[in-house]
Amino acid sequence: MGAVLTNPLRVGLRQERVIPPQCLVIFGASGDLTHRKLVPALFELFRQRRLPSEFAVLGCARRPWSDEEFRRKMAEAMASEVAEHRVAWEQFAAGLFYEPVDLEDPPSVVRLGQRLEGIDRLRATRGNRTFYLSVSPNFYGSGCRSLAAAGLLSDPSRSRIVIEKPFGRDYGSAQELNRVVQTCAQENQIFRIDHYLGKETVQNILVMRFANTIFEPIWNRNYISSVQITAAETVGVEERAGYYESSGALRDMVQNHLTQMLALTTMEAPGRFDPESMRNEKAKVLQAARLANEDEPWKCCVRGQYGSGGSSTRPITGYRHEPGVNPESTTETYVAMKLFINNWRWQGVPFYLRTGKRLPKRLSEVVLTFREAPVHLFDAAGGAPTPNQLILRIQPNEGAEFKFEVKAPGSGMRSRPVDMAFSYDDSFGEPSDEGYVRLLADAMLGDPTLYTRSDEVEAAWRLYTPLLELIEDAPSRLPVYPYEARTWGPAASDNLLAADGLAWRRP
Amino acid sequence: MSTQLTLQAPLALPPDQVPGYLERLWDQSLGSSPGAATFTLVVWEGSWLEQQLVRCGRLDGPITGFLNEKVLEAARAAAASCGLPLSTAPMDPKLAWAIGQLGGNHHAEDQRGQFVEGAISAHMPRRLITLAPTLDGSQPLETLVAAYCPLPEEGAGSSACGDVVVLRGSTGALHQNLDLVQPLIAPDLPCWVWWNSSLDEAPEVMAALATGARRLVVDSSLGDPRRCLNLLVERITAGQPINDLNWLRLRSWRESLAMVFDPPSRRDALNHVVQLDIDVEGSNPVKGLLLAAWLADRLGWQLISTYAVDGDGVGDGIGAEFERSDGETVRFRQMPVPVGVPKTHPGAILGLRLICQSSQGSPLCVILCSESGGCMRLESGGMASMELAEEVVPLPNESEEMEVARLLSGGHDSTNPLLAAAAPLAAKLLP
Ligand SMILES: NC(=O)c1ccc[n+]([C@@H]2O[C@H](COP(=O)([O-])OP(=O)(O)OC[C@H]3O[C@@H](n4cnc5c(N)ncnc54)[C@H](OP(=O)(O)O)[C@@H]3O)[C@@H](O)[C@H]2O)c1
Repeated sequence: MGAVLTNPLRVGLRQERVIPPQCLVIFGASGDLTHRKLVPALFELFRQRRLPSEFAVLGCARRPWSDEEFRRKMAEAMASEVAEHRVAWEQFAAGLFYEPVDLEDPPSVVRLGQRLEGIDRLRATRGNRTFYLSVSPNFYGSGCRSLAAAGLLSDPSRSRIVIEKPFGRDYGSAQELNRVVQTCAQENQIFRIDHYLGKETVQNILVMRFANTIFEPIWNRNYISSVQITAAETVGVEERAGYYESSGALRDMVQNHLTQMLALTTMEAPGRFDPESMRNEKAKVLQAARLANEDEPWKCCVRGQYGSGGSSTRPITGYRHEPGVNPESTTETYVAMKLFINNWRWQGVPFYLRTGKRLPKRLSEVVLTFREAPVHLFDAAGGAPTPNQLILRIQPNEGAEFKFEVKAPGSGMRSRPVDMAFSYDDSFGEPSDEGYVRLLADAMLGDPTLYTRSDEVEAAWRLYTPLLELIEDAPSRLPVYPYEARTWGPAASDNLLAADGLAWRRP
Repeated sequence: MSTQLTLQAPLALPPDQVPGYLERLWDQSLGSSPGAATFTLVVWEGSWLEQQLVRCGRLDGPITGFLNEKVLEAARAAAASCGLPLSTAPMDPKLAWAIGQLGGNHHAEDQRGQFVEGAISAHMPRRLITLAPTLDGSQPLETLVAAYCPLPEEGAGSSACGDVVVLRGSTGALHQNLDLVQPLIAPDLPCWVWWNSSLDEAPEVMAALATGARRLVVDSSLGDPRRCLNLLVERITAGQPINDLNWLRLRSWRESLAMVFDPPSRRDALNHVVQLDIDVEGSNPVKGLLLAAWLADRLGWQLISTYAVDGDGVGDGIGAEFERSDGETVRFRQMPVPVGVPKTHPGAILGLRLICQSSQGSPLCVILCSESGGCMRLESGGMASMELAEEVVPLPNESEEMEVARLLSGGHDSTNPLLAAAAPLAAKLLP
């Protein structure tokens, strides 16, 4: 959200819970995520005075940095913030430490335990620890094992472990990873990240649905005819080709982020807003979700890959020519699909999901289309009346929009659609927390509401298993259609909806 | 949240045996408990109102130290029979004093400190030390000890045990035996000192308890306004972490006012405030002044002058002039207003009006009204030509214990910087 003038009366008003004394241990402290997201988010929390004074960050990776080197690297990586808040940074950096640790080398993890005891004494962090695995997914399992073997996870009230995405690469590997981490720690110690859940407007789906009475009565198959969920990116694969080549859009975006948006949009109201009730409902609805055509999954899914595009002055490279990408790659950068949810609320309502890179706009939204009026009393300006739509905009221009018909001005009784819009920016004008600020704070508070539970992750993977198997076994049945960069994906994706007499919303 | 009983019936012990008993308790009975590595909470539990009401037969015992509906009802009824103005808040120390002049010599069991409020026990204090001064000025010191293990809430993590120590006796007896308390406070854990009483009483006890880095919790609505504000300022200046429940209760007012200015289109109006009016219940000005001082600090106003304003028989109001950063003047008025049913604490805010006048556009008038009463006085008087933004401020319905529990939840190891800025200014606003 665009930062506008801040509201001077808002300062210090947030009623956030305060994080208890603890040491946050980051594995992969020399990696990209740590200096780009994690440490900036922690510094933000520090400046918001949401960290207790009994707090420390211990960075760990294999390279032999010193505390001082770690502090310097972090300061360099966030030079402009540090320059702007020099005094605060000095105070914050005094709580940054570094310990060389190889997660695959048990003795070094045992040394880590000793170092942590030293930090407990120095910073009064009282043996409370949050371990953050910001390392390659290959180390999630072995990392948990080494921590457990060193006794660092033995007290569930004092230690927890945060696991980055991706959690597994299919149903089987996710199950296996769950099995491993659950032998090392209890489920309530395990925090699986989904970055979308950190976004304020994703959380707002819940508040809109369950803090108002006007939406819930019509939030079902009797009133809603179809739902579209879109997460569009304008960027290409950037520097992540190595990872992306083996993942693709289905794994990278759909299984986690789009599925979370789907779950929040469709779940039943929990009895109360506590982590387990929330996650029970999400898991339940995901378990009821199915591909529209499980036996012939190629009929309900379209894959695409961006080709070159742009203009002669600003050409855009096609995916296969991006650095690090196999010139014959069949990795999808676009995927669209149709799902159903087999329960009382949603039976028969089609859900269309799509995501892609190099699309014309960066945006995420959920669009609920309502049924048509049973009788058309009035001529519509556009031929037929436009069905009512409720659009929940996740990013950018966060907010909600409602489309309905009104009388077109002039004589006669013609109708035309109008928009009623709510915008976070106009109403609050405040940039919201970056996802990591919220997610890190929640993990350190021990609040798993915005983290995914083992059954949710598994249900999400299982949902897409027919597609993943098809891609593995008979990729030709699910061809990767090329699309021009900066267009809305391959034509086959439009056909997927056209077959149902629908069209993607052009945002 | 429910109140939780201690694990065992508290055991009365001679004072000198308390430390030894506690040590044995942890070694033997609680040997398997991790013992919460949390904090010590020391409470000065005056409960004068409740004690006086019980003594003169207007309230049944036992004496618990909790401010429940029954105590408040009895207090409101007593205010009328003591001849105090209707606007006297139940918690006003003047009321307890006036009830003290009534006859009666009833007794009831004194259970202060033997119950732990659920909201507080959820934070698993390692040790809860209650100092319970009695009405009887000759009562010698008694000490009671018990272990308690909070029942974990459904779905919550494991809990750890703590213990409870009660020291009961006359204020003099408690004061003389304070060196008994000091060694009971674990030096390596944070210590909170909650002065749950008027700030006018037993200053020597507070001075001895609230030393160094101990985190002090007070209520600046209880006691002589100047003394309350001065105490805040002194402690802030000395660098002691201090929390004021009276300030915390301003939250819904601050939140409502901030909400009015959330839309970016309204922000500019904050630079053009020309007038601020606040109405408070009864004659205690402290809460209103803290609100005005907070606003002045947030908006960068300098105080120019302050003076008493003639009230309508309820007592004087306060007037002041501020200078905005662009040199323009802001006029401030705070008036006491009589009310029929006062809120629990003295000086509750009834309404606030802010008038913003920029060179372009029509002026903006923001009025916030307390949920419980209208604010007709602020709504009257030639605002027809202004853009009006009116909001109703909800009454937070939280017990003192819940407020304190919120503090105990951590992170309040230093004084809130907004309070640190507002309190000195509020003190200067008092003419
Ligand atoms: N970067 C992002 O934007 C992003 C976004 C979403 C999710 N993620 C996830 O976040 C995690 C980290 O991503 P990243 O981009 O920061 O990766 P990265 O830059 O490749 O960093 C990997 C880190 O792991 C350390 N490491 C490697 N082997 C280790 C071992 N055996 N023991 C201890 N540390 C070891 C490396 O340091 P040494 O070589 O010194 O050991 C390095 O600090 C990944 O799971 C990724 O999927 C990243």
